Order: sequence, then structure tokens, then C-alpha cells
Amino acid sequence: MGVIRKLPAMAERIPGGGIVLTSIEAILHQGQAKSLWYLLFGTACCAIELMCTGASRYDFDRLGMIFRPTPRQADLIIVAGTITKKMAPRLRRLYDQMAEPRYVIAMGGCTIKGGPFYYDSYAVEKGIDHIVPVDVYIPGCPPRPESLLEGCIHLQERIKKQKLSDWADGRK
Amino acid sequence: MTREELTQHIIGKFGGRVIHLEAGKYDPLFEIKAEDIVDICRQLKEDPYLSFDYLANLGGVDTTEHFEVVYNLASVFKKLRVDLKVILPYDRAEIDSVIEVWPSANWYERELWELYGINVRNHPNLTRFLLPDDWDQGYPMRKDWDAPDFIRMPER
Repeated sequence: MGVIRKLPAMAERIPGGGIVLTSIEAILHQGQAKSLWYLLFGTACCAIELMCTGASRYDFDRLGMIFRPTPRQADLIIVAGTITKKMAPRLRRLYDQMAEPRYVIAMGGCTIKGGPFYYDSYAVEKGIDHIVPVDVYIPGCPPRPESLLEGCIHLQERIKKQKLSDWADGRK
Repeated sequence: MTREELTQHIIGKFGGRVIHLEAGKYDPLFEIKAEDIVDICRQLKEDPYLSFDYLANLGGVDTTEHFEVVYNLASVFKKLRVDLKVILPYDRAEIDSVIEVWPSANWYERELWELYGINVRNHPNLTRFLLPDDWDQGYPMRKDWDAPDFIRMPER
């Protein structure tokens, strides 16, 4: 695990420079963490911040995060915006269509607990964790791009700390 | 045509069938009877001095005493606006469709039926519109509506 994180330094030191020692677990999870392709799921104003984060100023690509328009190619779904009760089955369906391993980021107050529509709304789902399991919550209304980036980095750290045995036990 | 001229024209045209309400802040507001709605709307549309050819909005109100259905009409060519209001008691929440006058009323009236439970007669397609397809929790825009996960705003 430690070797691959210090890859540039190690590669310098190994004579000849052509061999790196690591474990399957480390290289697999490093690869997963550094290529989190996310499914666009912007339903409200959080999607504007998501777009801003994806554009050149904040540059999501440098984390290896590239948006995908189809759930078949996505590892991560960033739920950006209010989820209404009518939208909830669609979200669940998209989540089910994603291949494992799959992760969910709840972006903004609406996805965490209904946001400004917590009171007096017959239409809004009070938190998407009623529908899909959420890995990282990012509060804000909407969160700034820095918050989103930090949330994604937290998720990457979590992925790197995974064990292969987690999957065997069905813990994820 | 100014606002006063428009008001006088409509009062002169319909007489006792319309009641002019002073509450209209921007546009003239008239209360009419539920059974007159299609006839008055058609005459407002076909009058050459008014030609209300555009139904800008159609909405419902629950005042906790009765329902109101509000029609916001606009005339694109004559640059006029007028509001009509129909009061419906809770036990007879029924109104005639104005689709034959303005076809755009179709979706508004479906919404009215779905969210307030006001039955719209002669509507060609009175089916579930905005709410989820399996919705069975009543009419959510009514003031006395409640549901298990509905959290009312606290009283101030």
C-alpha cells in the first residue's frame, strides 16, 4: 500500500528504474480512486456549481474525474440538486444500472435532508439516503466548488483505504 | 383602452353576471358564477374590442372557507389584462372546462384537478399529471392536507 503512494520517489531509487513492488489491493484501489468517472445527475442549482467545478477554473479532470452521460460507464454518481418523490425511482434505477464498485456523493442541502424544502413540501424527498446509500455528504446551498473538490478527495481517500476483503464480506 | 374603460366595458357587457372586486391591484378583477364561466370566457374572447385570446394562467386557491379558481386573461393585440374569479364551495367543487375557448387550459385544469381535487367537467384527459403515477395521498395543495412525511412550517 505504501509503496505505490510513493511511486515517483521509489521509481527513481530502484536501480534500472523498471520495477515497482506493490500489492494487487493497492494498485487496484489506487486506480479506482484516480479514475472516478462520475454520472451527471444535476437536477437543480447545485448542478451549476458542478459544471463550474468541471470547467477550467477548478478543473475536475486533474483528480481523474471525467463526466459520463451513461450509468454503464460511471463509478460515481454526484447527485446535485433537489430530488422529488417523482424523481426518486429514476435515481434508484440509474444507481442500479451502474456497475460495482459504485459510489454516491450527496451534494447540497436538498440531497442531505430536503434543504430549503424541508418544510411545507409535499413533493420533495427528505434526503436521498432513503433511496440510495450515500458515501460522502457535501453540505452547502449550493456548496462551493472547493467543497465539492474536498468531498471528492475524501471519497478518494476512502477508496484507497479499502480492503479487497471488504467486498467479499459484502460490507460495501 | 384604459383600466377604467375596460372595467366599464365589461360591466356594461355582462351587467349583473359579473361583480367587480376592488381587490385587483394591477388588473381588473371580476367574480363570476361557476355556471357562467364558459359563456363569459367565450364572449370575452370574441368581443372585437377585447379579444382576450390568451389564457395567461389558471390557478386554484384554498382560502380554508371555499375554493377559488382564478383565470388570468390577456389580450395580445389590444394589450389588455383581466382576472376572473370563481368561488366554489367545498361540497360542490366542480367547474366547467374552458378548453373549447383556449386549448391551453388543458394542462392547467389537469393540475387543478390533481392538486386541489376540483372536478373539471368536459375535460378530455383528466389524468395524473405532475404527481407520481402511484400517488394515493389526496390533494396536496389543500390547506387541510397532511401526509406521514409532511412537515408543516411552524407557526411564528
